[in-house]
Amino acid sequence: MIYLLYFIVALICVYTLRHYWFTLNRLFGFQRHPYIDIDAADWPPVTVLVAAHNEEKVIANILAALMTVKYPEDKMLVVPVNDRSTDGTRTIINEFVQRFPGRIRPFHRTGGKGGKAAALKDAMELVETEIILIFDADYIPGAGLIRQLTAPFFDPEVGGVMGRVVPINVGANLLTRLLDLERAGGYQVDQQARMNLRLVPQHGGTVAGVRRSALREIGGWNDNSLTEDTDLTYRLLLYGWKMVYQNRSECYEEVPETWQVRRKQIMRWAKGHNQAMVTYGLHLLFGRHRATLRERIDGVLLLGVYIMAPVTLLGWMLALAVFYQGIAPLHGIVALLSLTAYAAIGNLAAFFEIAAAVKLDGNRQRICLLPFLVLGFTVSILSVSQAAVAQLKDALTGAEFHWDKTERFRKVAS
Amino acid sequence: MNPYLGTCALFLAASALVVLPLVPGLWELHRKSDAAALSVIQQHAGEIRYFADSFRGYIKSLEPLLNECGRSGRMVGGTMMDGTDYVVLGGRGEALRLPASPKDQDFQVLIASAGDLLVPSQTAFSKDLYARGRFLGGTDNTYRAILGERDIRLGDRSSVLRWVHAVGDFHAGTDCRLYGRVSSEHAIRLGAGCRFSRLHAPSIEIGEAPRVDSPWLRNRPSPAAEEHGARVLHEGNFEIPAGLFERSVVVRGQLHIRAGARVYGNVKSWKDAVLEPGVWIKGSLISARNLVIGANCRIHGPAIAERQMLVAPGTQFGEARHLTTVSAPKIEVAEGVRIFGSLWAREHGQAGIRS
Repeated sequence: MIYLLYFIVALICVYTLRHYWFTLNRLFGFQRHPYIDIDAADWPPVTVLVAAHNEEKVIANILAALMTVKYPEDKMLVVPVNDRSTDGTRTIINEFVQRFPGRIRPFHRTGGKGGKAAALKDAMELVETEIILIFDADYIPGAGLIRQLTAPFFDPEVGGVMGRVVPINVGANLLTRLLDLERAGGYQVDQQARMNLRLVPQHGGTVAGVRRSALREIGGWNDNSLTEDTDLTYRLLLYGWKMVYQNRSECYEEVPETWQVRRKQIMRWAKGHNQAMVTYGLHLLFGRHRATLRERIDGVLLLGVYIMAPVTLLGWMLALAVFYQGIAPLHGIVALLSLTAYAAIGNLAAFFEIAAAVKLDGNRQRICLLPFLVLGFTVSILSVSQAAVAQLKDALTGAEFHWDKTERFRKVAS
Repeated sequence: MNPYLGTCALFLAASALVVLPLVPGLWELHRKSDAAALSVIQQHAGEIRYFADSFRGYIKSLEPLLNECGRSGRMVGGTMMDGTDYVVLGGRGEALRLPASPKDQDFQVLIASAGDLLVPSQTAFSKDLYARGRFLGGTDNTYRAILGERDIRLGDRSSVLRWVHAVGDFHAGTDCRLYGRVSSEHAIRLGAGCRFSRLHAPSIEIGEAPRVDSPWLRNRPSPAAEEHGARVLHEGNFEIPAGLFERSVVVRGQLHIRAGARVYGNVKSWKDAVLEPGVWIKGSLISARNLVIGANCRIHGPAIAERQMLVAPGTQFGEARHLTTVSAPKIEVAEGVRIFGSLWAREHGQAGIRS
């Protein structure tokens, strides 16, 4: 028992160091933005896939925004992927098709397997271009975003690209404000540091792009995956394609405004991530493939971020057990102190990362909300642990995964 | 002391300690003073003319005055809404010669000219300049920013601190320092010894640059638009021999392209890439380290180096109908180089080096 506890403490220390390394790199290291300067080029044709399942509240916003972006009109085709919507999504899309003839080709899906990956897989029959960009329907791209996301594909090594997601409904309530801080830390520090250090920036499945030939080489969209973006990240990595993160390619999104919706969202992410960990973890670390040593190590650590929640909970329980049972030297006091030290220093690493992100974004007062993140972390750690247990149970009983779409809070667009 | 009172005091003190760090957060939650979405650059992302367009909007209120001064030839002074002093110069067809500086050769007013504008040498302009006609600057001047509706010519050893935009041609004499954005709707020409950071124009020439057509490049579509089924991934160093090479290639070492090679595809190296003279690349050229480009090369697509780029004379990037981008933290470009599109040096750009 004590050795398991020591192993958990060691794992936690690794993640703590990783947090500090990333943050210090972002604050003081060399920043890589190699493709953001490409503003003039012989732009290639692109297809923009907009994933939409019952999105009548938001679909008009993104289609209107895409019609005004700065990209040659004859080289950009928008394909709204209407995945079995039962609300007014189809009508709104068809209205846009009539308003902008030749620029939007709708894909109305009425049956088939559920989930975004399955819908994107089916929509590939309409894709004729080498570059594919992907947006969820609740995102609002800016004028220069399509060019910025396309530019990295001039590098023949780049298989995928990911932009930065910025919450737009920040001021709604405490939850949205905490999610704004978390997103800032995740993108401004975590993703950019991985880009700087040539590690594994993660594809987010939206505000993102993928090269069609790379997608074909890795076997296309995996509709058995719960999070197609994580799955894509690792398959591209194994085949020698690079993922690029563009921190300055920002796009607004709507974050959950209720804790219930947030819990569902993070539980789905956790299950998908854990699924990818089981599928690719060992092969990534020890297998014969194209990833470099640093990509192997970072890739495995990235795969483990969600499983660390139940592992941390287990560590706390073990620490208490060894202390009260007195089965370890000094009654397990070393183990208990190690975990306590992590609780103080380890958590500070996450807080430090988010505080650094707030500073890099040039914000000020929102940093006062930092102590409230304990609340967000507590909900996350419990939800993610619950998801891991449920996933284990599903695996044992052979139960199928049910896709939970994230609820929208925007009012219907006029 | 009453034990119940002591317990209550302890409880209250402990509660206060817990709540204290939350007070600023609670106050911020109540006030929402920093609750707006992060202001992301949406509508002018990457637009080099952004400052010029903003300035044009700023001086729109001076338009009637410019028209009036243009007709009457008068010189009128005043103050903008934000308190900035201005001078509007008019003339009847002839170039306007700016009078000697009022104090220590430093003009601290916004100057707008209704026609051509000639400015004296060894003068500093700490406010923006606007010329409806041509702008002709003297030597050893320092400018904050210039907007010219026609050609702009800067004298030798001039410095621009923020930006320049010329609707016509832009020409900088020798040893100029161009710290911000420089753009032209037509062409930019830099003299030897100029330093630059960000340039954009349909044609950028370093010194005298011969224009070379490359018909075989025009006959074929851009590889960026095609699928790269034949992408080569090579571990270690790699050499592309002279002759036709019809693949995209990723080299996880150094890349060497022999003289006269014709590469139809995109090229990437993890370490240094060296192009011998006369190499033509139809696609992009990217190095995660340094890029050394020999004389008389033709690069059709974007050229990116993550550290430094050296470009020898006679090399041409892009084409008149297909603009492109050349970018690196440090760039040294010899005389005789032409770029159709953008030239970005994030840290240090040097024009007119000897090969």
